[in-house]
Amino acid sequence: MFCRSLLLVAAVALPVLAESTPKFNPIQKKWWAIQTVTAPQPPTVDAAGQQWVRNEIDHFVYDKLKAKNLTPAPLASREVFLRRVTLDLTGLPPTPAEAQAFLSDSKPGAEERLVDRLLASPRYGERWGRHWLDVVRYADSDGFKQDDTRPNMWRYRDWVIQSWNEDKPFDRFIKEQIAADELYPGDAKALPGLGYLRLFEDEFNQANIHLRRQELLNDLTDNTAYAFLGVTLACARCHDHKFDPLLHRDYYRMQAFFANIKIDDGAPVASPAEVSAYNEKMARYKAAAKPVLDQIDALLAGPRAAYRKEYIERFPEEVQVVIRRDPAQRTPMDWQIYHKAITQVEVEDSLVVSKKGTADVKAQYQRLLKDLEQFKPLLPEPLPVAQVMRDQGMDAPPTHVLRAGAVDAKLEETAPGLLSILDPAPATVVAKPELNSSGRRTALANALADPKNPLTTRVIVNRIWHYHFGRGIAGTPNDFGLMGDRPSHRELLDWLTATFTGADGWSIKKLHKRIVLSATYRQSSDFRADAAAIDIENKLLWRYPRRRLEAEAIRDSMLAVSGLLDRTMGGPGVFPSVPAGTEIQEGRHWRKSRGDADEYRASVYIFARRLVRYPMLESFDAPLAFESCGRRQETVTADQALELMNGQASAKFAQALARRVGNDPGQSQESLAERAYRLTLGRAPTEGELKRSREFLTAQMKLAGNAQGALEDLCLNLLSSSEFLYID
Amino acid sequence: MVGLAGLLNAQLGPKAPHFPAKAKRVIFLFMHGGPSHLDTFDPKPRLIRDHGKPLPFKRPLTFAEGSTGNLLKSPWEFRQHGQSGIPISSLFPEVAKHADDLCIVRSMVGDSVAHGGATLQLHTGSNTFTRPSMGSWVVYGLGTENQNLPAYITLKPGLSHGGAKKWSSGFLPAAYQGTAVGLGGVPIDKIAEPIEHLKNYGLTPEQQRYELDMIQKMNRSAAARWQNDPELEARIQSFELAFRMQTVAPEAFDISKETEATKKLYGMDTPETSDFGWQCLMARRLAERNVRFIQINHEYGPGNEVGWDAHNELIRLHTRTALQVDRPIAGLLADLKARGLMDDTLVVWGGEFGRTPIAEAGDGRDHNPYGYTIWMAGAGVKKGFVYGATDEFGYYATEDRMHINDMHATMLHLLGLNHENLTYSYGGRPFRLTDVAGRVATKILA
Repeated sequence: MFCRSLLLVAAVALPVLAESTPKFNPIQKKWWAIQTVTAPQPPTVDAAGQQWVRNEIDHFVYDKLKAKNLTPAPLASREVFLRRVTLDLTGLPPTPAEAQAFLSDSKPGAEERLVDRLLASPRYGERWGRHWLDVVRYADSDGFKQDDTRPNMWRYRDWVIQSWNEDKPFDRFIKEQIAADELYPGDAKALPGLGYLRLFEDEFNQANIHLRRQELLNDLTDNTAYAFLGVTLACARCHDHKFDPLLHRDYYRMQAFFANIKIDDGAPVASPAEVSAYNEKMARYKAAAKPVLDQIDALLAGPRAAYRKEYIERFPEEVQVVIRRDPAQRTPMDWQIYHKAITQVEVEDSLVVSKKGTADVKAQYQRLLKDLEQFKPLLPEPLPVAQVMRDQGMDAPPTHVLRAGAVDAKLEETAPGLLSILDPAPATVVAKPELNSSGRRTALANALADPKNPLTTRVIVNRIWHYHFGRGIAGTPNDFGLMGDRPSHRELLDWLTATFTGADGWSIKKLHKRIVLSATYRQSSDFRADAAAIDIENKLLWRYPRRRLEAEAIRDSMLAVSGLLDRTMGGPGVFPSVPAGTEIQEGRHWRKSRGDADEYRASVYIFARRLVRYPMLESFDAPLAFESCGRRQETVTADQALELMNGQASAKFAQALARRVGNDPGQSQESLAERAYRLTLGRAPTEGELKRSREFLTAQMKLAGNAQGALEDLCLNLLSSSEFLYID
Repeated sequence: MVGLAGLLNAQLGPKAPHFPAKAKRVIFLFMHGGPSHLDTFDPKPRLIRDHGKPLPFKRPLTFAEGSTGNLLKSPWEFRQHGQSGIPISSLFPEVAKHADDLCIVRSMVGDSVAHGGATLQLHTGSNTFTRPSMGSWVVYGLGTENQNLPAYITLKPGLSHGGAKKWSSGFLPAAYQGTAVGLGGVPIDKIAEPIEHLKNYGLTPEQQRYELDMIQKMNRSAAARWQNDPELEARIQSFELAFRMQTVAPEAFDISKETEATKKLYGMDTPETSDFGWQCLMARRLAERNVRFIQINHEYGPGNEVGWDAHNELIRLHTRTALQVDRPIAGLLADLKARGLMDDTLVVWGGEFGRTPIAEAGDGRDHNPYGYTIWMAGAGVKKGFVYGATDEFGYYATEDRMHINDMHATMLHLLGLNHENLTYSYGGRPFRLTDVAGRVATKILA
């Protein structure tokens, strides 16, 4: 049944909110996910197992298989392993040269050297950073109706990619996202991480500011619970969670950590010295240009006031009162409202002039702008800025538990705190006067990044496992709750988690290495009817689970094998051209492609608009950025086939691949086919495939009238084939 | 065999309804902007009597706070039509000829006074969250009997007020997403391709068939090597389906073989009605081809200005907008009947809300979600029937209130789906189109 209707029943029956000490039932107290992480000994294995195991992971997996009378699969071939781990870690298939290097390396440790090389590749951060971007619902726009662009959000995306590439310890990765400004003041490299707090869906010109504030806080609270704690705290917005030990009050305890934040879309990504140098230059410019600037102020005093008045009056009375209130009298909650309202009232001069200026004012304004130009050489280079959230001051407004989640139905006030079942006491918050910040987020960051936190630690380890195997040890990465999947290998998850926060010092790359060098990961994916009869879903991992590549990896792999991939990293989102018939409108949602600079970049850099997704990524299940996505859909649709067969993008990739394959004149059909197979599938064609390819090229040449066209078709076939689209 | 019973089919193959029902598909005529019920299907003599007087009770929240005035009578005359004698205003002379087929609901209620929330709620049941659209739910529940065409098509949708959320599958699998054909504001002759990637620009059909055979050989050998992988079987099927769609879909969207008489019936012979007429004719063609959920949109845009959203100049704007849709809709009803499609098609007409009995800016009307009119026709609903009522000013629904959630519940019921059982588990709980609400309006069932 559904949350809201149950609330009505529950609210009548038991006045939960009046109770001060939370009561949890025995099942809730025994919930696996909140138990202390143990460091179990890897089980000993029998003689057959000794032959198979490669590291501790395998001991746990073998033990479970044996208990069900199952045996693991033998190792996959080195070719298969190479392709699997290369796609998995970098989102691209191995090049023929890379294959040659690995397959001819017969010295011990070749696999480890391969994995080290892959983890050091910048492509690694682009692929694994993208996984994290799913979890935090990353987008370059606001969402809602207007879906306005967030011009500098990409600095967060770049910060994520860079963090993964440099193997930033995950506890630090958490802390920078929640409280970089408080914990690492002046650290320009850490600051863009705060963009995490700015990823909520929003509509900046909403008139009901109280509601808007509550909605963005809800969005942030929900996501923080999904992303870091792996719990569906969102269900507790209106009432106690129906199954998990998550209290209605916990929702607002968590929310209170964020109660004091305001939007800062111009946070300089620069050192304190750079900022003060900028400010000095700016002051010099303003001093020099003062006579003109004063004239502008005088000219626009009237229009600015008129604009201000009109837009203030559009707000409901309670917001108007706050804007007009003496700043010294404003409460922290007033400031929350004020900051969100004022951006609608105080806008750039150009907008004021266009809306409120007479023809005469417009003309004079243009003249004054001309006069200003002489001072341009004095203007400092603009500082790079990030879009973040930070505290508005030391004192936070009160947070109330809200009845049924309604913004105007305040129940008791609550202090910030973690989930009551983990720690019922209020969080210890130390204000940061030197930073004019409440210190609340520092308390949250420390609690989330605490190695003793049983949720954060297990949740990230499970996510990593999920992306390697297509399924987490707990199958629902965003829901560790009682309605989520139970872990298939609980001891293994604990052992990995304890090792991750202990010996490995929160290093994700070390975790990757343990996983991909295990015998479990290196198993063949071959089907065995006897094993399937016992464990059809392969939950116990009696073989490697084959799965389709994600949308980005499909497109990037096509770009890579066709030689088109532009490996430039970072910067504002790009706009590859969109097909006819799509709902994306150039001009409105999409900038016109500038050619190569937009067409061939890695998919993680494609502009992520919330309301419309780039069609090729959309058809292969790239997620909507409205809510945290812990596990993507994996669909098979006719749409995807049309995209591959008829899409302009795939046609372009196939043409480039054909040029690459056929760049030496006079090649035989066999050698063309062989090269095409090697580039795309990383292997030589079989005899039968070679024969079929030859026949295909001959017949298609007759139909098409030219050899290049026939080769392009063969290339498109290879790019569309299941073998190309799947990780085996 | 895994093939046909495989994944692809599990997602989109026809599924049995929860119980037998007459309606197999829906044509939803969306009147974006909010047509005035007071000037179309809900006559209010009291407004004539009290024209120019203040509203005698406290005005609820409106959209245009501050610029609303006194009561405004309808500038159009209402007359009784057909055997049923249902009153319809002179704005809809052609639709009025079908009065005896209509089931008019005069007691609709929604929760939002602004377009964004109201439009989202009409399409998804929720005015705040991102949820699957009603068409996606229907296709999730019933699948489709024609896999050669998309199961859910929305014709010329607008991108304002929710954009693609209006036909999004939300958290349901992407297979249930609506396919947009054309866009609101873009003339029909500018629709380059009805569906993206439907055309191959390089190959002849013969070459492409040959190419496809090669892909399929590759995929079959992969499937043979990688035994027992239902996904690979489904992928093979998906290519065959895509190939068939390439021939079937362009034929479905090609109206050149329709007779001049038919085109005229839909109003494709005059510039005012040709655009909406094209949509209505297309809807009939898609209905014939068993597309499950078809939406026709009258949108804001060049030539339409603000559509039904007459905050001022009610007379000019409603006259023009009604003219654009009246003949095409009547043509659609007549044609569906003539072809026997009315027996298993449910037609629904309505906007995101109605309009206020008080004037805005002197000669317009503001948004009114508290009581307004939609109508249904066709499979499973009573004919020549009026359900529910608003108060004597037409402000609030007072009898047999039908909330948007109730309308969704009723629509699903007419399709043989129990709205409480059509659920999808997501984020730790089951969801449904009607969330925690929704009652079937049993009185309108035929």
